Amino acid sequence: MIITQIKQRRKELDRGKNVYVPHMVLVDKIIEETPTVRTIHFHFKDTELNNEFTFESGQFAELSVFGVGEATFCISSSPTRNDHWECGINRVGLVTAALHRLGVGAEIGFRGPYGNHFPLDMMAGKKLVFVGGGIGLAPLRSLIWNVLDNRDKYDKIDIVYGARSPGDLCFKYDLDTWEADQSLNTVITVDKGDAKWKGREGFVSEALMDAAPSSRNAVAVVCGPPVMIRSTFPVLEQLGFMPDQVITTLEKRMKCGIGKCGRCNIGNLYVCRDGPVFSYAQIKDFVSDEY
Amino acid sequence: MEKELRDQAAKLLEEGTVDFIVGFAAGTLKHTTTPLITGDKDATSSLVINPFISNNLATYALEISGRLGIVAKGCDSRSIVSLIQDKQITRQDIVILGIPCSGLIDLKKVEKLSGKERDEIDDIAVVEDKVVITIGSEKREVTAATVLFDHCLGCELQIPQEYDFLIQGPANEIRDNEASREKIQELKQMFPDQRWAYWKQQFSRCIRCYACRQVCPACFCERCFVEESQPRWVSPVSLWQDNLIFQAVRAIHVAGRCTDCGECERVCPVDIPLRSLSKEMYDLVGEMFDYKTGMNAGAPPLMTAYELTEVESLIR
Amino acid sequence: MITKKVSKKDIRKLLTAWNQECNVIVPSRVDGVVGMAAWDNQDISFLDWYRNTVIPPKSCFLPKSEVMMSFKKNENGLKLEVPTGEHWQVIFGVRPCDARANAIIDHVFAVTYDDYYYISKRRNTLLVGLSCTNPYDSCFCTSSNIDPTESEYVDLMFTDIGDDFVIEDFTGGGKALLNMSNTVKKVTRADIDKAKEVKAAAVGQVKKTVDMEDVDRKLRSLFNDRDYWERISAKCISCGICTFLCPTCFCFDINDEMIRKEGARYRGWDSCSFRSYTKMPMENPREEKWRRVRQRVCHKFEFFPMNLGINACVGCGRCIRLCPVNWDITQVIAGLPVEAGVKSGK
Repeated sequence: MIITQIKQRRKELDRGKNVYVPHMVLVDKIIEETPTVRTIHFHFKDTELNNEFTFESGQFAELSVFGVGEATFCISSSPTRNDHWECGINRVGLVTAALHRLGVGAEIGFRGPYGNHFPLDMMAGKKLVFVGGGIGLAPLRSLIWNVLDNRDKYDKIDIVYGARSPGDLCFKYDLDTWEADQSLNTVITVDKGDAKWKGREGFVSEALMDAAPSSRNAVAVVCGPPVMIRSTFPVLEQLGFMPDQVITTLEKRMKCGIGKCGRCNIGNLYVCRDGPVFSYAQIKDFVSDEY
Repeated sequence: MEKELRDQAAKLLEEGTVDFIVGFAAGTLKHTTTPLITGDKDATSSLVINPFISNNLATYALEISGRLGIVAKGCDSRSIVSLIQDKQITRQDIVILGIPCSGLIDLKKVEKLSGKERDEIDDIAVVEDKVVITIGSEKREVTAATVLFDHCLGCELQIPQEYDFLIQGPANEIRDNEASREKIQELKQMFPDQRWAYWKQQFSRCIRCYACRQVCPACFCERCFVEESQPRWVSPVSLWQDNLIFQAVRAIHVAGRCTDCGECERVCPVDIPLRSLSKEMYDLVGEMFDYKTGMNAGAPPLMTAYELTEVESLIR
Repeated sequence: MITKKVSKKDIRKLLTAWNQECNVIVPSRVDGVVGMAAWDNQDISFLDWYRNTVIPPKSCFLPKSEVMMSFKKNENGLKLEVPTGEHWQVIFGVRPCDARANAIIDHVFAVTYDDYYYISKRRNTLLVGLSCTNPYDSCFCTSSNIDPTESEYVDLMFTDIGDDFVIEDFTGGGKALLNMSNTVKKVTRADIDKAKEVKAAAVGQVKKTVDMEDVDRKLRSLFNDRDYWERISAKCISCGICTFLCPTCFCFDINDEMIRKEGARYRGWDSCSFRSYTKMPMENPREEKWRRVRQRVCHKFEFFPMNLGINACVGCGRCIRLCPVNWDITQVIAGLPVEAGVKSGK
């Protein structure tokens, strides 16, 4: 009965556990990725939490600028490099603009990690194809470094990443490292180059088609804007990927991050609680088309 | 009147003059009507005209695309004209089915008078200039003026001026300016700090449902100022200060577009007397600029034109 | 089981006894609007006119706005403070529809993570139910399988049998409330029989009915039928009345306010009917009204059963009673095609 269940929780509440109160974190470093994207590196003010905190690739956090608001960001650093944490911030509104105005040493709030995570167990021993677009590289990056730090657990790896223009490419320092790494096949493309661009031009879906990674015993992970995701699924299908071999992350406006405020639902699932990581097989069977 | 309206509406759909008819049909609760939006000529037989048709159907002109045949009382027709003045809709896309109005019955007044809630009242019927309220075997007769909406008592256009078809019917004289402004006069007698305390109490109840804004044809902004976050003009949180500012700014934004249709006050679920703000603004607009909303489709909207002879005392 | 009773003449004494230990919240009329408010230690006239509130009892646990934490900026950084100290409270006059609704959202706020603000109020609250004998013409609780005189989600249930209320107690908390006053007496056989009569008659008072059988299945097959939803949603004006007054709607927003060095983080009601509810910088998945109306109906009648096994509508009728355009959910449910086909296109 609900009332008895509530009485049982009284003990937990008495310990003052309030999921909505953020932990304090301090900004260590700020990297300007593109004119609108910055990565912030941070650590927890509380040293015990700093030592204990861990998360899984694909999970997200709610960052607070007190007095301005809270917003959702995926944790873009890898759990294998747990000395600090990173989030990529795309300046699109009130809270992200405030985050962009911060300097090193600023104090912000952190709630998380929330959501589910990429299924590393399922991916072990398989060929991996990472397909990213624009700021969609942020969650993917956590996963890629996680995988590369355990390279021998996985088979062949392809990375296909693109952005609208050379100026919109994120995490360029990672792209350089991956392009130089002989154990990976990395393809970078831009929709439209500029005078200085010497690389590939074209959409991510086209680059993926040309790369033609094998779908046998392989898993594809796709992260990017909805239009990119929708154009990538058919290509993967053509390459022979079955729906349960394709993983993606979905994005919806979020607030609480813990499945209570109701706003991020797609059908009966909450992106914050049942996602943000979903397989294409799940999406195909969704009761709702809202993604 | 109903038969003429139904026939006309059916004809408009049959001839393809309009894609949809927007009118009133009987509601699912007692003494209620509901908007009827239909492209089916058979459905026009459900159209009704009675003293409960309070919705201002001009709002639908903003959302429904295609040519519309809108049933309009005087106040509604003024809202339509105002939207045409603001170039939010084009005259050619609207067929106005004007209906004369002898005032609408305010169910809250009936409830107060009879001490019963509306679903406990069996019948409310208009008989000439009287209203008969039937509860069980008891019949009570009151003058219509006691139970008509305050805004109906202040009506300035009982028969639409701008229309494509005018349904024939009576429009009993109902105007009583003093009664229409009774609540506002009470407020004006108060000292400023008393009035402030009054509105603070009223807006403490506001739940920010935005029904007042959504029913209003004058509120046609694609993005309302309360939804802006950069800068955040008003907090989205229901705090009395922000609730009050929201309504105050809204009253200013709709000045010159409000036709005193009274919908904002009728729909408020927590009975905030919003008309006391909008009607006062309406009268100020009339005094200062000699302007009445929606009387002339060709006139420029109030705040977009300037005459040299206009009052200048507000420019400091 | 009906075990006790209290005379209507003694209600003031009973509430006073409760008021010594906890805040007593009763139906009250503020500026003509019926809601739940703190008892003024005097007025029990609500026993004569009370039917149901405009704002549902969920507002006692999930208010329309509340402070989650306040912050002060000083030389040492930021100081966060969370409001504490919830007092015991008793809500008198909870109707069975609202009682079940409360239980439904109790679950939402307790599943996986405890919602500190909701639970800390809820755990300190006792609910005293009141059998409903004068429903509105918009009420349809019986169609949600709710008996307007019975509830397993309250601590006590009062039923009016004329000069007295008979009382059923369900929990330790309820028993404790009864023990606080010697005005509570034992029932007689006659009282119990009268109560049975009253209860049976009450069920027949609920006139509005709708068949809720298989609603979730019908909605599932209609999900992609854009024409259907555009037709159904045509007269809706996208305000928030139905969602804010619904006792099982719980969606909220979190916003910060700051003036100079002091501010607070607030939680407030939000509604899936608003266009900006799902608005993201680059796109809005529910830009069009028909999508929002579809979400509203499907969340209540399809997604909730999928997640919780129960239809979240309790038939309180507030959405119908107060909708500016008389959009009637029972009409929509009754009109759902029995064999609804799936239209093509997404």
